[in-house]
Amino acid sequence: MSALAVEGLIAGYEPDLPIVREASLAVAPGEILAVLGPNGAGKSTLIKAIAGLVRVYGGRVLLEGEEITNAPAHTMVRRGLAFVPQTENVFANLSIAENLDLAAAIVKAPRARVGALYDLFPDLARQRRLAAGRLSGGQRQMLAVARALVVAPRVLMLDEPSAGLSPKLVGQVFEKLLEIRASGVTIVLVEQNVKAALAIADRGVILVEGKERVMGEAQSLMDDPAVAELYLGRSGRHAGEGA
Amino acid sequence: MLQLIADGLVVGSVVSLGAVGLTMTYAILRFANFAHGELLAWGAYLALSMLGILLAIGGAERMVPLSPFSFGWELVVAALVACVGAAAIALVLDKLLFSRLRHGAAITLVIASFGAALALRNLLQFLWGPIPTYYSRELQIAIPLVPRDVLGGMRITPDQLLVLALAAATVVGLHLFLTRTTLGKAMRATALNPQLARVAGVDVDGVIRATWIIGAVLATIAGVLAGLTVQLRPQLGFDLLLPLFAAAILGGIGNVYGAVLGGLIVGLAESLAVPLIGAEYRAAVSFLVIIAILLVRPQGLLGERT
Repeated sequence: MSALAVEGLIAGYEPDLPIVREASLAVAPGEILAVLGPNGAGKSTLIKAIAGLVRVYGGRVLLEGEEITNAPAHTMVRRGLAFVPQTENVFANLSIAENLDLAAAIVKAPRARVGALYDLFPDLARQRRLAAGRLSGGQRQMLAVARALVVAPRVLMLDEPSAGLSPKLVGQVFEKLLEIRASGVTIVLVEQNVKAALAIADRGVILVEGKERVMGEAQSLMDDPAVAELYLGRSGRHAGEGA
Repeated sequence: MLQLIADGLVVGSVVSLGAVGLTMTYAILRFANFAHGELLAWGAYLALSMLGILLAIGGAERMVPLSPFSFGWELVVAALVACVGAAAIALVLDKLLFSRLRHGAAITLVIASFGAALALRNLLQFLWGPIPTYYSRELQIAIPLVPRDVLGGMRITPDQLLVLALAAATVVGLHLFLTRTTLGKAMRATALNPQLARVAGVDVDGVIRATWIIGAVLATIAGVLAGLTVQLRPQLGFDLLLPLFAAAILGGIGNVYGAVLGGLIVGLAESLAVPLIGAEYRAAVSFLVIIAILLVRPQGLLGERT
């Protein structure tokens, strides 16, 4: 059974103007799936629709076989699905500790879990009383991922975690994602930074105009110049040089 | 001078309690609720009716005061029941009116709140009549706190002292609630970013309900305290509306602690202005405060520039 499956999904902000158009994909347990595609392809809308933030007009979303189509967004974490938005993904007016404690309290997570996350993100542990709004971009991204992990999700979705980060910080964030995957969490990664995403992903799916056009092993997508040229907007030789 | 400060702090405490509810509604729901003043008036009058019921049940004509205060235990119980009633009114108002308009423009909600305020005020006057009244007609002896030869001295009644103490206790309680409880943190999170709050698992609709309930409870406390220290009249909410907005804007709209500070400053400014401009024009002070703060520091004293 797939950890997460999307079947013929139609979603968007207006019923007559869907952005996601009959998209289908499946993510195996413990897998990292990179969702790629040109700007405006509907990548972010797709995972927001899965997360319950954008209305689904057709098709369905299955989390470990259970249908969660159009379930209220706030119920997703209790179902085991966590989502890290691209921007404004931490509560800037709360401290690091309050961000994590709030997430823990909502799902009644044991205190030890927050402690374990401080071990995983020692940078956050050192300044836990600091307001999240005062963190650097990379630290904010780490906190956003940590906040999502407090709920012990079985599936973690991230919307462009590399956006606005230096290559060094992107490397650090993606290393953490590999550590998280090693603990058994399935990851769906929407990215513009094609090279970095495919480097850690098991498989990739390329979305064009709201529908999946190409799916395959990450390595084969990396090596396929036609794919890069046709769907990623650049030649295969430069396919890896992020957006 | 000292007496004016004491009077200002008492008025300011009532304004602070009302302004906190107003600013919380703004922070969570993102609109200026002009019906908030009416929640104060309704809370105060619901307490009056409940007081009448309790006295009738007890077969008493009037309260036996809990010395040194001017009121008996019946008013305490009546105020608690009134809190429930005012919260119910706020929730019904949200369900029938505001929730249906929430996804439209903020100005629609503001205009709707004007309409709701008019309806609530007139309904209140229809039900209880236009004549001002009191919870208790017991006379209180003011306690001299500072001798008359020191800046004119300061005298304060036990009821007024209770107003100050209750307002301080409510603010401390609210601070602990916002910083120590899950619901409090969820409210702060929702105020900042409702969509992220949803993603983080916060039931934003539940937070909205909690906001209405807390706002209505604080409004009721403010209304009862205003009725206790001044008098009850149907225009109570309307008269306090301008000071409430002045306090919320002065403190930084959406900032709970700013609303408390703003309330105290507005109360003091009104009181200190009385010898200069006369009591009949004291309400104009709130208006001047709003204009001044919008010109000098639009984000308010504790608000952040956006």
